[in-house]
Formats: sequence, structure tokens, C-alpha cells
Amino acid sequence: MTASRAVAVLACLAVVSPAGAQILPSEPIAFADGRITIGGDVSASFGSRDPGFFDFTDYDHSAFRLFRLDVAAAANVGDHVRVLGEIRTENFGQVRLYALYVRVRPWTTKSVDVNIGRVPPTFGAFSRRTYPSDNPLIGYPLAYQYLTTLRPDSVPGDAAELLSKRSSGWLVRYRYGNQNIDKGVPLVSAFRWDTGVQVHTGSGAIQATGAVTAGTIANPLFHDDNSGRQYVGRVEVRPIAGMVAGFSGARGPFVSAVAARSIFGDGHDREFTQTAWGADLEYSRAYYILRYEGIVSDWRMPIVRAPELTLPLRSVSTMIEGKYKIIPGVYVAARFDYLGFSDVTATAAQGPLPWDAPVTRVELGGGVSVQRNLVLKLSAQRNTRDGGRLRPKETLVAGQVVFWF
Amino acid sequence: MRSHFILIALALLLTAAPEPASPQSRHGTIRGRVELRKLASAPERRPGVGDPGTPPPRDFPDLRRSVVYLDSAPRGAFETSEGGHAVMDQRNETFVPHVLAISTGMTVDFPNSDTFYHNVFSLSKTQRFDLGRYAAGRSRSIRFDRPGIVRVFCEIHSHMNAFILVFGHPFYALTDTEGRYRIENVPAGVYNVVAWNEGTASDHRSVTVPAGGTAELDFTLR
Repeated sequence: MTASRAVAVLACLAVVSPAGAQILPSEPIAFADGRITIGGDVSASFGSRDPGFFDFTDYDHSAFRLFRLDVAAAANVGDHVRVLGEIRTENFGQVRLYALYVRVRPWTTKSVDVNIGRVPPTFGAFSRRTYPSDNPLIGYPLAYQYLTTLRPDSVPGDAAELLSKRSSGWLVRYRYGNQNIDKGVPLVSAFRWDTGVQVHTGSGAIQATGAVTAGTIANPLFHDDNSGRQYVGRVEVRPIAGMVAGFSGARGPFVSAVAARSIFGDGHDREFTQTAWGADLEYSRAYYILRYEGIVSDWRMPIVRAPELTLPLRSVSTMIEGKYKIIPGVYVAARFDYLGFSDVTATAAQGPLPWDAPVTRVELGGGVSVQRNLVLKLSAQRNTRDGGRLRPKETLVAGQVVFWF
Repeated sequence: MRSHFILIALALLLTAAPEPASPQSRHGTIRGRVELRKLASAPERRPGVGDPGTPPPRDFPDLRRSVVYLDSAPRGAFETSEGGHAVMDQRNETFVPHVLAISTGMTVDFPNSDTFYHNVFSLSKTQRFDLGRYAAGRSRSIRFDRPGIVRVFCEIHSHMNAFILVFGHPFYALTDTEGRYRIENVPAGVYNVVAWNEGTASDHRSVTVPAGGTAELDFTLR
């Protein structure tokens, strides 16, 4: 998609805006007596170069230099059925179908929904607020964005090969499986949704969501790449006003059938799994919001030869975030983030080392609302990487414009 | 020379003095009806593609109410500041009423009648405020000291919005659901009257208010 096409999309949105006096819509666009609604999020970030690849979401895209356009739509088809979808483009590239699913509500009086298709994330708290309008800062939490050196379709033969790739998750390949160089996966992908069936129930104090999907939380898929399914669930509790506590779990085959076959032959692709647990807590009151989220992810990868991988390959993330409104329309925010990895040993002389380089991130920033749905953000981010081949420390600064309707 | 000064001083006093208290017979009433050819549509929820479940049902605001007011008020009318309280409730994810008309100096209370948080705020030039997040059964208040239109939102529920029209005089009225209005105790004279409704162009009309009588004035908003 070219820049002119993106401008054309925005121009179309402006023309169909119900608020004729405004250049761009301030509310969702509704058709057919409100049965069809269209909303959107547009953001443009520009900041420092990132030679350490701390904020890259793949080889081409850094969260600090990104134009992103999301257009979402919902259509009510009677009392029981709703169709929801979303398309997204980044840096005027290909327009991708981010979400498309049918929501069936079997009983109108009971709070039970069944989603079928490319469904919303079940695992974690941040996964539902990845939109720039929901994110108080410009960067993402490490667990949802930082690319580890693991790939589902390319597998290291031993611990030495895995350790040699530390910090190069933005572009990595191994001896077994797909030989094309490509990006690794984060603990939980914030950039793709999985495909399957999801059931959600509850409202108010307790809510629960469960899903069976094709991919894993690190590698959501449209077409399954192995013969197993992921089972993922989340329970959310609201014990007092302003507090939300969530607990998530997920387990599914991670390594693709092609990669598993290249090592062990057919029939083993379900054995190499990603298992993850998450806990999150949010408390808000008056002018502040505090959030915590911790995730533990275990990967069981194929053991091919010595020096063997020490399984599971564990990764632990901890994130604390705060936002405080200082005057109407102006806020400050901060996030502390740590991503650690379990040890593996390649040689006795080298000793045990984390299988990927641990990363610490501190981001400070704030935002000013020019109008309700137009926000200017500024962020400064300090990243520290303990080991690996790439630059170990980096300070990045970026500004972002966010518009939503 | 001295007599000139006295005459000038008397003239200035007469110009600046507030209008003396008028007998009821020197006041009149403006009444009529506002017809809405086009009714603004209530804001919809954002599609909510990322939410795994259907949001709970909500109320829709009453968009039929218009506000009729004198664009220019009689001399002296601006010097009164009424004080007092008005209420804009938050109920089933809707501000009730959707439109509030008040005088400068009045305080609006925003109780939260829902079981979850709301966060009332406005970035309007007339009054910029943010009442923060507060729970069910709690209320926050804000005093309005400048005339103008204040658009109110909830930070948590983006489909919630409302209007507060703040006047520096008491000559305004909110229409009923049939569009009828009545502005009383207007000093006799010629006025420019405005009818306002969300999402439509305001209509300005001139009217002569007779002493002790009633002027009929209907509007059609498109």
C-alpha cells in the first residue's frame, strides 16, 4: 500500500464522517441503524535509529519508526451472531487481515460467547491493549515484542549453536528445518492473532476465556504448521472497584512439522511444545493506573546431539507500568521491564549461560491530548542487554501521533 | 462648566446602572417548538474486535432535547450568578441527561450509578477538567464559571458523551421530548433567539417580546 493509498483511505473516512464539520471522524462510523460499525487507529512514530534491534518486531519494522493503520469493523447479524474483523498495514506495506471471526451468542440472556475464526488473544493482559491508543508509551513490553532466538521452523542442533545466536533474534537461522534467515519469536506475539475456537463467559466480578487454536502464543497461525492444537485459558477477577487480576495458561506444539521431520522423521511434531503461565494485576484510582504482568514460558525443543540443550528453555518476563494524569489532557507514564532466560551449557570452560541475552528496559514518557482522540506522545527508552553479539546498551527517544475513532 | 460635568456624570450613571427592578407587567414570555428534521445518531461503541465477549447492554441518550436561548441578553442580566447545583448522572454507560443547560456559577455533580468505574473529563476551551476514576455510589463535582459549550466524555467508555451549555444569563430553556420550550420573565424588547441541537445547524431568529405578553417562536433545525 502506497502513501497515496493510505491518504485516500483517510480521506474516505473523513468524507463519510457523521460530524460534517470535522476533518476526520471523532466517533465510530455507523451504518444500517448501527448494525455495522467501523472504527480505526492510526499512529505514526518517529525516533532514534535502533542498531541494537531492541524494538524491532521483525527485520523491517521498529516500534519506534512505524506508521500503523488499523481499521476494525463489526456487523450485527441478528441477536445471536456478530461478525468482527480488522485489517492492518504498517509502513504503507501490505494490508493484512489481522482478525476475522464470527461471534455466536447462543443465549441472549446468558453471558456466553463463542468466537470462531482468527480470534482475539486469550493469554495475558497487554495482548488486548496493543493499540497505540491503549498503550501509554510508544514501546511495547518485552514479552510481547522482543524477538528471542527461537524459531518454530528452524531448530538448533545443540547448545553451542543456540548460544552462538544470542541477541540476534531479529534475524536468525539454524541447521535444521527452514534454512532461510528470518526473525525469532517473542514470548507472546502482539502482532498476529491465532485461528481457532474461543469461548468467553462471565461478566462483572469473574470472567473466563478458553480457546483451542492452530498456533501458539509465540507463533499464532492462520494455517497450522504441525498436527497439534494449542489449549489456552484465562481467568479474570475483579475483587474491588478498580482492580483486575488475571491468570493465564497456554500449551501447544511449537516446532513445525517440517522442522521436526528434518530431525526425527514423521510423527514427532507434537512433542516440542511451548507452555506458558501468566499473572497480571491492574489497579486504578482517581488519576493513576498501575499494572504488573509476569510471564513464564517453557519451550521443549528437539535434542539432537551433544552438547545438549537443557530443557525446558525457560524465559521469564516481569513488567511494571504506571500512568498518572497531571492535568486534564496531560499524563506521564513509566514502564520497567525485564526479560530473562534459563541457562544452557555449551562447554565446561564457558560454563552455563542464558540461552538468549537477558534484556532490561526502562521507558519514561508522556502524552498530551490535543483533542479527545488525538494524542501526542513522547518516550525515552533505555535498553540494556547482558551478553550477545549486538550492541549491549542503547537509549532511544521517539515521538508518536495517535488518532482513533 | 460645572453644570456640564453634572449632566455628563448623570448620563454615565444612567448608562452603567443596572436596569431597575421591573414590575411583572414589563416582562414577557417566549415560547414555541423546535422541530428536528434530522436527529443526531447516538454514538456507537467502537467495534471492540479485541474483546473476547459481548459488552453488556447499555442505555442510549435522549437526543431529542434542544436548547433555546437569547443570544443577547438584557442589560444587567449578566451580573447575576445563580450558584446552585445540577446533576448529570452516569447510568448504564450513558450520561443522563445528555444535554444540560446551566448558568455560570453553577456546580454540576456527576454521580456514578454504574457498578464500574467512570472518568468524566472535558477538553473544551470553555472548561477543561478531569474528575479522575471513581467507583459506584461516588460523585465528583465541577463548578462552571465561563459561558460556552462544554462537551463531556468518559475516558473509559469512549461512546459516552454529553453537552453542558453554560450561559451568562438566565434566559434559556431546554425543550421537552416534544420539542416545546418556554422562556419566562424576559424584559420586553427585541431579541435574537437561538435554537441549538447536537449535530444540527443552530437557527437564529429575531423576536419581539411584548410587555406582559407572550411571543410565539418556532424553529426547524436541519
